[in-house]
Amino acid sequence: MSALQGIRVLELAESVAGEYCGKLLADFGAEIIKIEKPGSGSPTRALGPFKDNNPAPEHSGLFAYLNTGKHSVALDLDTAGSTLDTLLANVDVVIDDHPNDWLTHHTLTFDRVERDFPALVFCSITDFGLTPPDDRLHATDLTVMNSAGWAYHTPTGADPSRPPLKGAGRFMASYEAGLEAALCISACLCDSSGGRTIEISKQEVLLSRLDYVLAQMVSGEMNVSAERDAFDLAGPAGIFECRDGFAYIWMSAPSHWQALRELLDDTTWMNDFPDNWLERGCTAERVTLCRQHLGAWLKTQNKHDAAARAQQLGLTLVAVNNAEDLLACEQYEYRGFFTELRHPIIGNARYPGTPYQLSKTPTYPQSPAPLLGQHSQHLATVTGGAL
Amino acid sequence: MTQQRGGPLQGIRVIELTKVWAGPYAGKLLSFLGAEVIRIESEGSLDVTRIYGVDDLNKAPGFMAVNPQKLSAQINMKSEQGIALLLDLLAKSDILLENLRPGAIERLGLGYERVKNVNPGIIFTSMGMYGAAGPLAYQTGYAPCFAALSGLSSVVGYEGEAPGGMNVRYADSTFGTAAALASVAALRHRNRTGEGQFIDVSAVETMTSMMGDAIMKSTLNDEIQACDGNRHAEMAPHGVYPCQNNEWLALAAKDDDAWAVIANTIAASVGKPELATDPRFATLAARKQHEAELDSLISHWSTCQDASEAAAELQHAGIAASKSFTSLDLISDQHLWARSFYPEVSTSDGNSRAIVGPGWKMSRAAQIHAGAPRLGEHNHYVFGEILGLSEGEQAKLAETGVTR
Repeated sequence: MSALQGIRVLELAESVAGEYCGKLLADFGAEIIKIEKPGSGSPTRALGPFKDNNPAPEHSGLFAYLNTGKHSVALDLDTAGSTLDTLLANVDVVIDDHPNDWLTHHTLTFDRVERDFPALVFCSITDFGLTPPDDRLHATDLTVMNSAGWAYHTPTGADPSRPPLKGAGRFMASYEAGLEAALCISACLCDSSGGRTIEISKQEVLLSRLDYVLAQMVSGEMNVSAERDAFDLAGPAGIFECRDGFAYIWMSAPSHWQALRELLDDTTWMNDFPDNWLERGCTAERVTLCRQHLGAWLKTQNKHDAAARAQQLGLTLVAVNNAEDLLACEQYEYRGFFTELRHPIIGNARYPGTPYQLSKTPTYPQSPAPLLGQHSQHLATVTGGAL
Repeated sequence: MTQQRGGPLQGIRVIELTKVWAGPYAGKLLSFLGAEVIRIESEGSLDVTRIYGVDDLNKAPGFMAVNPQKLSAQINMKSEQGIALLLDLLAKSDILLENLRPGAIERLGLGYERVKNVNPGIIFTSMGMYGAAGPLAYQTGYAPCFAALSGLSSVVGYEGEAPGGMNVRYADSTFGTAAALASVAALRHRNRTGEGQFIDVSAVETMTSMMGDAIMKSTLNDEIQACDGNRHAEMAPHGVYPCQNNEWLALAAKDDDAWAVIANTIAASVGKPELATDPRFATLAARKQHEAELDSLISHWSTCQDASEAAAELQHAGIAASKSFTSLDLISDQHLWARSFYPEVSTSDGNSRAIVGPGWKMSRAAQIHAGAPRLGEHNHYVFGEILGLSEGEQAKLAETGVTR
């Protein structure tokens, strides 16, 4: 049995945010009907990475990841007439990620949805909300990451002469917004009192993820400035090079310092540091010196070995893994994080699964992403023969 | 009957046994969706955010940031009576959220099996760096460790250089959101069937999920995604460029037409009136091939620009562009204030303060009006109204240290 069994979702979304939201709901067992433009399909089908780096149809690894467990119906909404309304009357949820004018053009304003489809959970995801100011009408995830402060403050300890960074991959803002949308939709599905309209702003989602810092800034308890390190914490924590890659070390407490003493071969340099310096004497000079010595030592170590020894001593040192490490990771293997799926065009591949294990309603990518229009005949079933 | 503030989770009671940020963030999301969220606290094991570097534990800024609109009740979980009291409360609750150290919840005598015995419908959500079980589940770490282990840090950095990772503040709140999502999906199942369950959420796997397409690159083609600065395979230019006064401008060309608009905007300043028709930049493939030159030309123009004005000019021409916001910009952003993103809430001492609101707006939303609770502020409500203990019984529990 699945947690969202029996829930039918109409996915009008055509970009990463909405498609990721739909994928998350599909992993919980919801039935997703994805509407795609006949001929070209979702624009994410044209984005890489591509199987064998071949940008041919049905080769997109991005689309394959974002659309597991869904049904694809090829339908041109511009010529669909009353079909869209018939669909709306037969689904529980709608996910959209177009700007406001698209919703207006398709007579899907919130007012109208609330009036004509009061049982529907209708979720819109946009960059800045449905009523952006004139100077925010155009955005990509890069510009939203910059409008939300994450870019300016990444990496930690950013060099003020070098550009702010977009984060991990091309779509961080979209993944976060998709996750937020899935949460809101699932919550609304718990309420039997009727439908709701939901408006997700990528900028606000990204800012809400910063609440620990931002709430202290807005209440005047933390300094606000144009400094690139305004979000940072003091101390020697950071990424260091190892013999076979990189490792991340976190040190903030005297116990970490003691553990480091046991871990290192040469600890003579540590003798000039007070035992509680991480809490009470974290000066720039000490941080620099500590980082120098740590860095020199880690260069001689293998990341996984150093991490295993450090963890046993209570020191939070971890490998900076890459995708290859994850595919070989014993913990991921144990939990069955990767799911192997067979796609008719791109073949067998392992897909990242879900980060939660539910004891009674297991979650997983239920089937490979659909071919364009693979389930167009399914419309009649959805609407009980009305189409 | 829980407190009534509206919202989709009105009537749902959540018990939080959480620390620091990720667990409390999950609880905050549920509270913002209308649930009654009760933090269980005790003088003997206060959360670090209540006490670290703080004069008054009822006014700890970090705690107040992540715990608005929650209730606080004191139970000493190191006493058998305390555990019994907590089990009584869990019998009248819907969700338990915990992110204590690995194994700590079992050592307290509050493992899933015991809680299930008093409430088969409970949703027991356990959050751990690597999840609750497995060969590495014993390992612990903070948010940047989640990001490092997940693969996410390895792709954040300048092109051709060592990884720099996301800002140190990334990961806890995203992890908390994943835990909230799983809890709410399980709640829907519980509402239909009466069946509760155990949920085991992994922080590291949550982070990997946020870069699934980069993982697909490996699983499909055996290629490892390297740090690529601000590059984007399908867009050029796609970068963040220096402006006057140490400010930065992010811009992206979604297609060739967008590039032509950008080219016309900067052509005169860079002394290349024919830039829009320059064959080196005419197509995406050509721009990708000459991307360093492209970035250099744009930087040449941008260094003489005011970031906000340049972003506005590009926006009016239909281009995705933004100043790279500093913390000052975030706090003073008129758009956010106009949308009430920083709502005012009342604190228990009768003052008001601004907090960070949710990432959503919705119809029939839950009211968000209260700040974070004082330690034990809701003892009377929890022990008296929910558990039905008399004044005398409550006084005795306080005297004996069970509700300290």
